Amino acid sequence: MAEPDAVQTFEDGLADIRGAYEQALRDAADEPELRLVNGRYVGPQGELTKLLKLMPKLPGDRRRELGQRANALKQEIQSTFDAVLDSIHRHARDAELTGLPLDVTLPGRWPMPGRLHPITRIRNEVLEILVSLGFDVADGPEVELYENCFDKLGFPPDHPATDEHDTFFIEGGPSSGRHSVLLRTQTSTIQIREMSLRQPPLAIVSPGAVYRRDDDTTHSPMFFQLEGFLVDTDVTFAELKGVLTLFLRRLFDEHVAVRFRASYFPFVEPGGEVDMSCVFCRAWEGDKERTAACRVCKGNGWMEILGCGMIHPVVFENVGYDAEKYTGFAFGMGLDRIAMLKYGIPNIKLLYDNDVRFLSQF
Amino acid sequence: MLTSFRWLQELCPIDADVHEVAHRITQAGLEVEAIEEKGANLSGVVVAEVRTRAPHPKRDKLTLVTVFDGEAEHEVVCGAPNVPEPGGRVLFARPGAILPNGTTIEPRRVGGVESSGMICSEAELEVGADAEGIFIVDAENEALPGADVADALDLHDFVLDIGLTPNRPDCLGHVGIAREIGILFGKRCEPRKAAGPRRTFAAGASFQADQPTTDLVKLWDGQSELVDASALSSISVEIADGDRCPRYGAALVSGVQVGPSPFWLRYRLHNLGLRTLSNVVDATNLILLEWGHPIHGFDLHRLRGAKVVVRLAKDGETMATLDGIEREFTADDLLICDGRGPVAVAGVMGGSDSEIRDDTKDILIECAYFDPRSIRRTSRRLGLQTDSSHRFERGVDPEAVPRVMASAASLIAELGEGASATTAIDRVAIAHSPKSIAFRPARAARLLGTEIEAEDSQRILEAVGCRLVDETGKVFTFEAPSWRPDLGREVDLIEEVARVRGYDEIPTAVPRVRPSESGTPEVLRFISALRTAAVTTGLYEAVNYAFLSVEDLQKARVSTEVVSLANPLSEERSAMRTSLLPGLAGAATRAQRHGATEVQLFELARTFHPSDDPLPREDTALAILLAGNRSGWIGDEQPFEFYDGKGVLEAILDRVIGQRPDFTQGEVPAFMHPKRSAIVSLAGRAVGFVGEIHPDVGDALELHGRVVYAEIDVALLHAISEELGTPQGHLLPKFPAVTRDIAMLVREEFTAGEIATALSEASGGLAESVRLFDLYRGDQIPEGHRSLAFRMTYRDPESTLTDKRVDKAHAKVAELARDRFQATIR
Ligand SMILES: [Zn+2]
Repeated sequence: MAEPDAVQTFEDGLADIRGAYEQALRDAADEPELRLVNGRYVGPQGELTKLLKLMPKLPGDRRRELGQRANALKQEIQSTFDAVLDSIHRHARDAELTGLPLDVTLPGRWPMPGRLHPITRIRNEVLEILVSLGFDVADGPEVELYENCFDKLGFPPDHPATDEHDTFFIEGGPSSGRHSVLLRTQTSTIQIREMSLRQPPLAIVSPGAVYRRDDDTTHSPMFFQLEGFLVDTDVTFAELKGVLTLFLRRLFDEHVAVRFRASYFPFVEPGGEVDMSCVFCRAWEGDKERTAACRVCKGNGWMEILGCGMIHPVVFENVGYDAEKYTGFAFGMGLDRIAMLKYGIPNIKLLYDNDVRFLSQF
Repeated sequence: MLTSFRWLQELCPIDADVHEVAHRITQAGLEVEAIEEKGANLSGVVVAEVRTRAPHPKRDKLTLVTVFDGEAEHEVVCGAPNVPEPGGRVLFARPGAILPNGTTIEPRRVGGVESSGMICSEAELEVGADAEGIFIVDAENEALPGADVADALDLHDFVLDIGLTPNRPDCLGHVGIAREIGILFGKRCEPRKAAGPRRTFAAGASFQADQPTTDLVKLWDGQSELVDASALSSISVEIADGDRCPRYGAALVSGVQVGPSPFWLRYRLHNLGLRTLSNVVDATNLILLEWGHPIHGFDLHRLRGAKVVVRLAKDGETMATLDGIEREFTADDLLICDGRGPVAVAGVMGGSDSEIRDDTKDILIECAYFDPRSIRRTSRRLGLQTDSSHRFERGVDPEAVPRVMASAASLIAELGEGASATTAIDRVAIAHSPKSIAFRPARAARLLGTEIEAEDSQRILEAVGCRLVDETGKVFTFEAPSWRPDLGREVDLIEEVARVRGYDEIPTAVPRVRPSESGTPEVLRFISALRTAAVTTGLYEAVNYAFLSVEDLQKARVSTEVVSLANPLSEERSAMRTSLLPGLAGAATRAQRHGATEVQLFELARTFHPSDDPLPREDTALAILLAGNRSGWIGDEQPFEFYDGKGVLEAILDRVIGQRPDFTQGEVPAFMHPKRSAIVSLAGRAVGFVGEIHPDVGDALELHGRVVYAEIDVALLHAISEELGTPQGHLLPKFPAVTRDIAMLVREEFTAGEIATALSEASGGLAESVRLFDLYRGDQIPEGHRSLAFRMTYRDPESTLTDKRVDKAHAKVAELARDRFQATIR
């Protein structure tokens, strides 16, 4: 039922709001205050909302017109609100754009990755090169049979060639000699294992831990080696030189000189050692004074880097290959040593201390 | 091996300087590791003549000496007891001279007397070991006062330290290295036969009648003064084991005077690292260094029963060796015996009873060839490695016996001013037969990758000492020289050709690698991916020694069923690890000790476990250890706890396998916290565990705070990963999702995981995901309860969801929460 007073109340209400809202909105200092003020008019408990709730009490002939006026006012409030809000935003943005910069020296906020151990890192680098040349990676046990570590690799029985391999033997079986079990002293065992399983062509590299009973400033009783070998018909020493020269240049520097000299390992013949230009004094650059003062190469400009040779026919015979038909080459290197050279690590013991202050350097 | 360049030049005169020689032999396999110049660091030290000699006025043991150094007289205070009479010559360091040890000689006052310069001992000049008295220049030396000491004493030399590989016993003496230099520089350099001594005697009477005369070998042809030695006791040689001792030579020297060696000999031995003892012993050492062939001198009169017998020991037989130690032998040890018992360990060390002494007059010189393996086993068993065993176990030249004997007898006779028998016993039990080796130039070319003219190969092999015995078609047959036991088959000769020509002569070819079908085993790639993922999550990779002590394992409460080392370096490294925990915990303890606040380590390595197979089982494990604080942003650090370990594992597996594992309560190892650990499983199979380590174990390992540890079986993980296959792509959903939250108050014993699973099931397949987004305990929450809030995401892949369907599903979810978990929905 219509109430005549209602019209008056409604109209007064609209007039009050109209007279006050704009200033009130424009006076707001920031967005929360603006929203608070806006709520006072158009919020659920706002003045205009309350007025609109009076609509049913308005007489029918005025209801439509008053309703339109109220809605028009609501829109005006809305657009004022939008304008003021925009101005507040603009103001804030201007303040940010012209004010004090962030303290960019505060720490970043994202968890940092850890680091690979330098041995893993060098292994990855080395493998990447050799795998790209066509070698597959293989793996073998660290506890080995004596025959795989020595006999089948052509170490003659009771021969001083084993002197460099001061071996840890496993308790339980014979504590030395042919029937014993041991910690492998070299990754060359992988030659025997892979050749016993497969037929040529074979191109394998195998990194892994090896063990020798040496513990002093330059030796660690556990260290890492990488063995590589290639068996096929007509593999030549010339190709061995090619692979290793390429490998060392890719790993260290394309300018390093590489030289091969004769040496002896029972499982290769002809056997050799490979020297390359000292990477510490960058001997290939020919700065004689710098090389003369170099502690790493002791002034001669060369450093011993790996051992290699043509796989000895006795190894082929021991795995049942036809030693007339197949030839092959093998090479081995100390990953610790290469990591130390490449990353300038002064002491092998640092590699096995696992001190985060050291690990975080790589 | 230390080598005198001067001596090499005497044996093989060539023009090249020491550096060129060192380079060439290094390239050929005799690696020169160091070159030290001798006689070059003595400037300011000269020969001086003693002019006056008087006691020091105040000090008893000092002498005032005036010396003339060729330019001026100097007054010197000398502490040595052996200052010669005026006229004697000494070595004088002038004021300003610098001694080899770095001291500069300056004038100083000794007991109130000005001393200007120093009279030196050979030790002070580092030309010998004698520090007892000053060096007195030999009367035969014609050096005048003022002569430079290096010139006067002929000190100039270079010592090469050659690292010999064990296949080259022929180079364990100067003769062999000189021969090698000759080969490399194209100069024939065969060992010279020794000139005979000045005085000899006919030895017939000294060899018993039962020694076959065929065993007697004439040592020299030359002229000499024949002396009578008929009083010498007779001797015979018997070889009881020809396999162990194929050849045994014995020469006699009579009437020697044992005394000090001349300076040249002492100086040479000193430079080459040997002590000097007496002329006879020094001579045997010089022969060893010259020929690489050990000889042994017995005092003839201390050999009982007039004979030498080479035989195997009886088990338990004993003898005192030269070093004074009583040794016990086994039936595998070869002994040199006289008529009564052992007098030497063959090829290893002599016995103390028969050794050369100051009063020795007559000497039996042994020069033999022993089986290398026999010598090596005995030397190993006795733990007695000598210059002699070093050479015999590598293989000396059996055919050199007469030559070496002749040299030795001659040198000892000369130095000791005795006489040598003109003949010696040369008993051959098994004659050396040279190995015949076929050599095909075509094979060499195929192996080396370069053609070498057959004549060049032949020339090189003949220079090396091989003898061409047959040439049929393209096959050459050579006999290897007796001094090269390493040459036995064709490839050995190919290496000789390659080595002598130089590896530089071999071209460098483009490598040719045929790819294999199998490629790298997938598991190796997987391991590499795990490492990368672990690093990406913030972990540092550790590499620990694979051996540790059983106590370390006990402390960590991990399995002590170990693979043990029979000969560990120490108790601390005597067992192979059965778990990666002790190693990582050790690193964490050390890190905490130096104040690290966050330790985030992983290790991917093997553990070792006894098995019934010939080899132990090796398992590859990924272990993670977190200790201290997880670093947050500025002061937001939180101590690591279970959920960090869980999160790291989720991150790693999600990255490597594309899937997160499940975590359930279950039986974890004893070293883990029973209530704050979980079993990690994937596709329904347990692959490892994660959690906090047991606080008692933490204490035992000396770790502070909560320590999170996880271990994953890498092989199993890889196998499951293979089964799960490669991630497959799916189309994105076409219809929108609707989210609804449900918050509830539930008792603590219900896990969030089981509630979430149940809620999902209750949705009738409409819930795409259920995510816990709020967890609250505390005010207004009853004891033993917690508030959990889940966000349910509903989606129908086939149509747009209506509110009605969602409401219905969500109501069922709430109903289930109330019914099954007695939850109060909030
Ligand atoms: Zn250098």
